[in-house]
Amino acid sequence: MRKMNLAKCLTGIAVLLVAPLVLTAQQGESHIGKLTGNAGTGKQLYFRYCWGCHGFRGDGNGENWLPTGNYPNGPNLNIQPRNFVAATFKCRSTPTGTLPTDEDVYNSLGRGLTNSNMPSWITLTNQNRADLVAFIKTLSERWKTEKAGAEINVPAEPAPTVQSIQHGKELFTKLECWKCHGPEGRGDGPSASTLTDSNDQPIRPYNFAGGSRFKCGTTNHDLYKIFMTGLDGTPMPSFADVIKPEDAWDLVHYLRTLQVSRKSPELALWEGTKEGAEIVKAQKVRGTPTGSGVNQ
Amino acid sequence: MRGKYKQVLLLAVVVVVSASMLTSARPSGGSVSGKITYEGTPAKQKPIDMSKEPSCAKQYTTPPTTETVVTGPNNALENVVVYISAGAPDEAAPGKAAVFTQKGCRYLPHVLAFQVNQELNVMNDDQTSHNIHPLAKINREWNKSQPPGSPPIVDKYDKAEMIPVKCNIHPWMHGTFAVLKNSHYAISGEDGSFTLPNLPPGKYTVTAFHESYGDQSQEVTISGSESKTVSFTFKAKPY
Amino acid sequence: MSHWDSTLLKRGMRNHAFSVLTAILVLTILLVDSRSAAALPIPGTSMRAIPAFARKYGMPCSSCHQAWPMLSPFGQAFKDNGYQLGNERDAPIYQNPAYWPVTFRMTTFWHRENENRAQVDDPTSTTGGQIEGNLTTHGFDWSGLDFHTGGTLAKNVSFYVLPSSDNTGAFHFETVFARLDNVAGTSWLNIKLGKFELDNLLSEKRILTLTNVSGVYTNYHFQPATENNGLNPAFPLFSFGIGDNQDGLEIMGHSKDDRTRYSASILSSNDGTPNLPTSRTYDGFFTVSQAFQVGSLGLQRVGAFDYIGQAPTYFQFTEGNNSGIPGNAAFGLPGTGIGNRRFYRAGLIGQFYIKKYDLTAMYFHSSDDKYLATGTPFNPAYGTLPTGAQNAIWNGALFESHYTPSPQFILIQRVELVRMSQQALPIVPGTPYTPGVSVPSLSFGNENVYTFGGRYYPFISSRAGFAFHGEYAFSHQIGTSPVTGQNLDFSSLLFGFDFAF
Repeated sequence: MRKMNLAKCLTGIAVLLVAPLVLTAQQGESHIGKLTGNAGTGKQLYFRYCWGCHGFRGDGNGENWLPTGNYPNGPNLNIQPRNFVAATFKCRSTPTGTLPTDEDVYNSLGRGLTNSNMPSWITLTNQNRADLVAFIKTLSERWKTEKAGAEINVPAEPAPTVQSIQHGKELFTKLECWKCHGPEGRGDGPSASTLTDSNDQPIRPYNFAGGSRFKCGTTNHDLYKIFMTGLDGTPMPSFADVIKPEDAWDLVHYLRTLQVSRKSPELALWEGTKEGAEIVKAQKVRGTPTGSGVNQ
Repeated sequence: MRGKYKQVLLLAVVVVVSASMLTSARPSGGSVSGKITYEGTPAKQKPIDMSKEPSCAKQYTTPPTTETVVTGPNNALENVVVYISAGAPDEAAPGKAAVFTQKGCRYLPHVLAFQVNQELNVMNDDQTSHNIHPLAKINREWNKSQPPGSPPIVDKYDKAEMIPVKCNIHPWMHGTFAVLKNSHYAISGEDGSFTLPNLPPGKYTVTAFHESYGDQSQEVTISGSESKTVSFTFKAKPY
Repeated sequence: MSHWDSTLLKRGMRNHAFSVLTAILVLTILLVDSRSAAALPIPGTSMRAIPAFARKYGMPCSSCHQAWPMLSPFGQAFKDNGYQLGNERDAPIYQNPAYWPVTFRMTTFWHRENENRAQVDDPTSTTGGQIEGNLTTHGFDWSGLDFHTGGTLAKNVSFYVLPSSDNTGAFHFETVFARLDNVAGTSWLNIKLGKFELDNLLSEKRILTLTNVSGVYTNYHFQPATENNGLNPAFPLFSFGIGDNQDGLEIMGHSKDDRTRYSASILSSNDGTPNLPTSRTYDGFFTVSQAFQVGSLGLQRVGAFDYIGQAPTYFQFTEGNNSGIPGNAAFGLPGTGIGNRRFYRAGLIGQFYIKKYDLTAMYFHSSDDKYLATGTPFNPAYGTLPTGAQNAIWNGALFESHYTPSPQFILIQRVELVRMSQQALPIVPGTPYTPGVSVPSLSFGNENVYTFGGRYYPFISSRAGFAFHGEYAFSHQIGTSPVTGQNLDFSSLLFGFDFAF
């Protein structure tokens, strides 16, 4: 009897000891492939690397964010750092209005966001980036009450053809992408100057002619996801309900031809046509180099 | 044994049915009505320049004005959402969808009130693309494109919130989704009047929300089927 | 460190250990004579800790610095990328015109220095006899001022200019370079031209310790005790340290994530001095390193480096002043040094992280040619090698560990060892060191340096940096005391404020 009691007692103690460990392990974790991020470690990393811009509470109000746009040292933070409390994320593989997957946030950390102050954190270890994702998820109640959205289906990409580029060009007009991005994709459409993000801060539409990176990646696959999921928190809407997947790839192929400063199979095909060659040539007009590297 | 239970059940059904007939025969409880007014000088509404969107501009002989503050005669304030913010139980959503239409590059209605989990249909009657961008903070924020001829965007919100809505392509387009917990709501009309009918006896908080002037609340107690009058006055700012 | 060190270098003191000795000797003389304190050498802090970058990008010091001035892997990548984040917002055209990429750094402190066997006058001697005395000094002091300016001139064109002063305000240029970054669109090719710190993974310009004894890495500056003995007037100064900023052209490259790095430099054989004072020859410096991730421990890096140098042993031409001494180096025409002899500094480095602990371990293997090591011109007309002279060869080790519980606090511990494996002069046991003739033992000039310190940063911001600094360092040299040839010990204690703004 005594022995039994002792055994029970020990089991009880063991359960008591282990239970909180299991609980804490379940809360504040992230899962990216084989990696499991730990929010505790992520918190320490956050307060080394991130808080200057994203703030102590993770609400994007770091010491360098002045909503007036009046920066003593230049417009280095002309896009407000992400507000992790609102948990609205630009770069997702999930539908508009849903939480991103852990991997989406992890990829954003590794990639950085071009034309903003968010650098690439590829120099941190993969484990550390996973830890940061786990901590970021503790900053908003949304992660407790909602699940990440279901990843959108991206069908296999058909090979680009002149026809697909031309069809993409029609879609660009029909869907009125040019209203913001401009007829040549230079980010200078009629509505461009009026755009504001969800914090009422001015924001510029992407200038395809200027760079080779997009906000959320560099590949055709990334580009597909950008307009099918929308960049939440910005004026860029989701086109998931209004573009059929095959049309979406045509649009991707056309958008690539707007990146005249970057070599791509789509651009080569387009320049091979009389119509395309003229458009691209006109697009490549240059002025005096500014040294900025981006023709904004 | 069984027969006895059946009888009890039948009796209960009769009682419930007759009780419900009684209540529907007479007005159920009281009501709150009143008028929304402003004092001071409200911001002057400017004509909207739709020249960048000719398909909309041509629908108007005189350009429509902005709608951040819409007023009527005798200082009446329009487009104010009046609702019971406390005292009434949360209600299940009605089956009917709330419809929000984009027409002539404006939102019809300018303020749309509907209930939590009620279906919302967003229509585009225009010959141009809009993007519908409700800037939700408590609910999830989404942003969808709706080219001409697209099917309605169907959605619902699961938390109560006053959500500003905008179209990024047409920066003058602003509206409000008032997502409410119960069916006791009204939107003030041109004369600033509103009525919240069918309020059972009880103590309520009546709240009035205006997109530019924020919200105000008053306590009201209804006993029997009395009609109470509650009025709100917003301080208007000329800017 | 520069202002202190280079002032001394200009005065002809080449060896770090001897620099410390000289510093204390000068201090002694000044205290005794009560003359002007103008020449008082004091440890400087020409290190990079750049609030100008923090201000430009709005990031806290702790993003780029594990504990400033020491870099984090992210900061190293930022530097390797040409002080750019790489988000198309690095060019000055995106900055407010009022932004001025300048950072000042200074240190104020109290320090105590002790030398167990300093050369002093014998008060009992009437014939100018000298003895050794235990010498202690202490008091309040300050460093020189570093005037860091750096950043980008355009996208992928970066620069760095660092006028640095000693604590009397006498400036020199510690660093001056412009760099073409990501040439041809690849991070594997970056070209730097000017005067710059060698691509040392353990950067001496980012050293976390400040005292006279440990303000530099001993292994980065060690030259055998037999060198520069002043016996041959035709022999020009031979001074070299891989910790010294060098003049030249560097090509370096790295993977996007900075895990793999290489650099190759061609450098003037002048140890970073301007106006080509001696040489018209070139040295080479090569590094390669690779980092890898080990689970949750952190980033581990291993690398190797090799400096292949040469130095002249006499001047081809002297200026015609008939000094009566053949080839008198005091009148050597700058840039005409010839009779070059070789030296090298090679080594391995490992940087290991175990969460909040990290350890840097380095192994050095170095050699100076026998002509350099004995101060002999490579020309029979000007001098002959001492009998039995050989190349000087030595090995070194460095272990530096840190405990960084938070971005605000770091504990530092370091051990450096230098061991001669071949003396340039014959070993004659029982006979004191005789310059140009013999040394008493193989271990003559061996050195151990121990350091322990901590830095606390009461606040971290993107505008300025401030640290409470406390440190104790102790060095022990075999057989180098100036009169009796006994072991020579130095210790240094320092408490102060280190700030950059």
